[in-house]
Amino acid sequence: MNPRTRLWLVVLGGGGLAALLVAACLRLPVFGGPWHPYGDRAVRAALARHTANTVASVNFDQRAFDTMGEMTILFGAVLGCVVLLRQARDEHRDPPAPCEVAAPVRRYALIVLPVALVTGLYVIAHGQLSPGGGFQGGVVAATALHLMYLGADYAALERIRPIEAYEIGDALSASAYLVLGFAGVLAGSAFLANTLLPYGTFNMLSSGGTVPLLNAAIGMEVACAVVVLLARFLDQAVEIEEGSGE
Amino acid sequence: MHRLLPLLPAVPLLGAGLLVAGGRHVPRPVAEAFACVAAATTAALAIVLLPHSSPPLVEWVGGWFPKGGESVGIVLLGDGVSLGLVALVSLITLAALAYSWHYFDEPPRGHAGTFPALILLFQGGMCGFAIAGDLFNLFVFFELMSVVAYALTGYRIDEARAVQGGVTFGVVNSLGAYFMLMGIALLYARTGELAMAKIGHGLDAAAAHHGPDALALAGFVMVLTGLLVKAAAVPFQFWLPDAHAVAPTPVCMLLSGVMVELGAYGVWRVYGTVFSGPGGVPAADASRALVVLGVLTGAVGSVMCWYQRHIKRLLAFSTIAHTGLFLVGIGVLKAEADDGTALYILGHAGVKAALFACAGILLDRYGSVDELYLHGRARRLRGVGVMFAVGALALAGLPPFGTGLGKAVSEEAVGGPLTVLYVAASALTGAAVLRVAARVFLGLGPRPEEGDGEESDEDETSGADEEPETQKRLNHVPLPMVAVPAVLLAAALVVGAVPGFADMVGHAVEAAGTWGVFSSVHWTATGVLLDLLSTLLAVGLAMVAVTRPGLLGAPGWALPLRRLQSGHVGDYVAWLLVGTALLGALALPGVLG
Repeated sequence: MNPRTRLWLVVLGGGGLAALLVAACLRLPVFGGPWHPYGDRAVRAALARHTANTVASVNFDQRAFDTMGEMTILFGAVLGCVVLLRQARDEHRDPPAPCEVAAPVRRYALIVLPVALVTGLYVIAHGQLSPGGGFQGGVVAATALHLMYLGADYAALERIRPIEAYEIGDALSASAYLVLGFAGVLAGSAFLANTLLPYGTFNMLSSGGTVPLLNAAIGMEVACAVVVLLARFLDQAVEIEEGSGE
Repeated sequence: MHRLLPLLPAVPLLGAGLLVAGGRHVPRPVAEAFACVAAATTAALAIVLLPHSSPPLVEWVGGWFPKGGESVGIVLLGDGVSLGLVALVSLITLAALAYSWHYFDEPPRGHAGTFPALILLFQGGMCGFAIAGDLFNLFVFFELMSVVAYALTGYRIDEARAVQGGVTFGVVNSLGAYFMLMGIALLYARTGELAMAKIGHGLDAAAAHHGPDALALAGFVMVLTGLLVKAAAVPFQFWLPDAHAVAPTPVCMLLSGVMVELGAYGVWRVYGTVFSGPGGVPAADASRALVVLGVLTGAVGSVMCWYQRHIKRLLAFSTIAHTGLFLVGIGVLKAEADDGTALYILGHAGVKAALFACAGILLDRYGSVDELYLHGRARRLRGVGVMFAVGALALAGLPPFGTGLGKAVSEEAVGGPLTVLYVAASALTGAAVLRVAARVFLGLGPRPEEGDGEESDEDETSGADEEPETQKRLNHVPLPMVAVPAVLLAAALVVGAVPGFADMVGHAVEAAGTWGVFSSVHWTATGVLLDLLSTLLAVGLAMVAVTRPGLLGAPGWALPLRRLQSGHVGDYVAWLLVGTALLGALALPGVLG
């Protein structure tokens, strides 16, 4: 198909679709109205289970089954990347040469690294209390490690990031989430039921029953997954070169 | 029993997690045996739950049972159809794992569990999709099976075509998924609900004031676009041949055998639960939209199938043709047509997976899936040849295969001119596969010459010079690779031939549907005659094609149709937009009226 025909098809199809969507959006409830059926119910349910952060309650209690699916999507995507970004037959590995990093950059990176790491862990640990949680904190913690690449070099990053350990950590934490789900069935309740642990005191770290546990599993899964994902892409960019030999 | 429903996706997913964690420390047979156990456990669980599925099992995950008619949780539905599909998905997964047992080359090195783990994740996604009763949860599992399928399609990264097929698959299906998510957002904005039945009630309540409107229509169009992309309906189908031709054979068995059909199932489920009420899309309009797309899909799929020489692409187009028939069966909105379609899907899954398995043997033995190159070369593979021919006849609807029964029951239900489509599509696709069998395994007819006709190379994918999927070319065919297609064909035979099985399927479908009637499903004289007619047509066409290749060679008028399958992602996206607009236009009268 030549570009002109393609453009006409896009105009035709896109035009029809746009008209439909505009007509549909005109029928949406007005913005800022007081009618929030799901929100009201979700807040009530979160408070009943002593979970201060309603979003965490939705993610890890009320709709924890969706989160299981989403976590598995990330897990599957990372596994897919490990497969697709492997070293092809016509490629070879060429470790990058170490290079000098400007002293201020080095100092800044090495000071910020532990701070960023602790921030990530904090965000994970307080998921049931305040905005954030496993998904967000996991990404912060994982990217913090990569300050080592900025502050030192690729070899230093590889030393603090044994990739196999992170791949196994990814799989184990995904399994841990599922095992917590099975525990509900084994305990005679429902799959992923938040009935295994006491709900604790509202707004305390240990409140919310199984929410902190599921949240921690997600935090570890996301952190490991992001590390592995970045490692695969960095490998492609830094180490794996075209051509089959030296 | 309903407590066990969430385990259907959770068992394979946990299996995958453990395999990745421990797979690299165990020998490969252990990792593969473990994956087989996980797949088989899921199948067994689904089969144990099946007898309890009427009335349907309903589970609110996490124990969030509705209080005062309202819940914040996720509902799962275990009726005859969803549990039946879980059983089918799990058994085909088991077949794919058995087929790849030990022989399939599974890079990356030192990651023994990776390939079976991806297959288990794929299975988990499909199982979750089948039992979802919540629209957003349906979307989550839709995404899971998509993401894993992209990776599995591009598995052989050393071949450019595999990467291209994976990328096209990924782009088109992701777009479909975004459209679906937008549709879900519109429906949620109107109703404040995510459980499918609740959305349906919400739409009906809202329509009490003004009748169905643009928002309901847009929700219908957007959600169905996602599902129809998965089902490879015309004009959303372009990704499928590119992906199926390059995906490893065990993955093709899953893609063509069950994943594409799950798209059609999704259409059936979503229309029946969400949009069939007074606030949704009127039956006549939904029926028009689905039947028109179904007829187009059936016609395009079978014509394209006939003109392929790349055997896996040929099988992929035959899948498109059959999905067209499934969509017509679902689209006429009749209880008997639903029964027929369910049986057809069961039979087709076995037959198509078996045919792909046979094509995989050719690939691993001769390093080619080109019908012309392989002419007469596979004479020694007699058993495989017999299975391939039997599969072709079953595809054409030979009684008493499940495909034949499903086709017969559907034909009787749709009636009139649509019957012609069923006979023609099954005859043409069956004939194409039979033609391949006659040329490749018997060496019948003149040896086709290379490069005849006016078309240039770029209009055709030959399938020569493909890399075998085993570590080296096979000198003899290992037992599992032959046993799997044999068992699958036998299963397709059982679906149609064992008395009472069809009735059981029919009851399960009607108990799950909204029809409230029970009809008996069985062979009729008309059905058998129509099946024999399409089988004879297939044999006749194949004979003419083999003995007089010039007579039925690619005519000029088919070339523009074939050129549409350009491999250019931009083209496919343009067609996706056109298809969405077309779907809206077809269903529009009900909203205006």
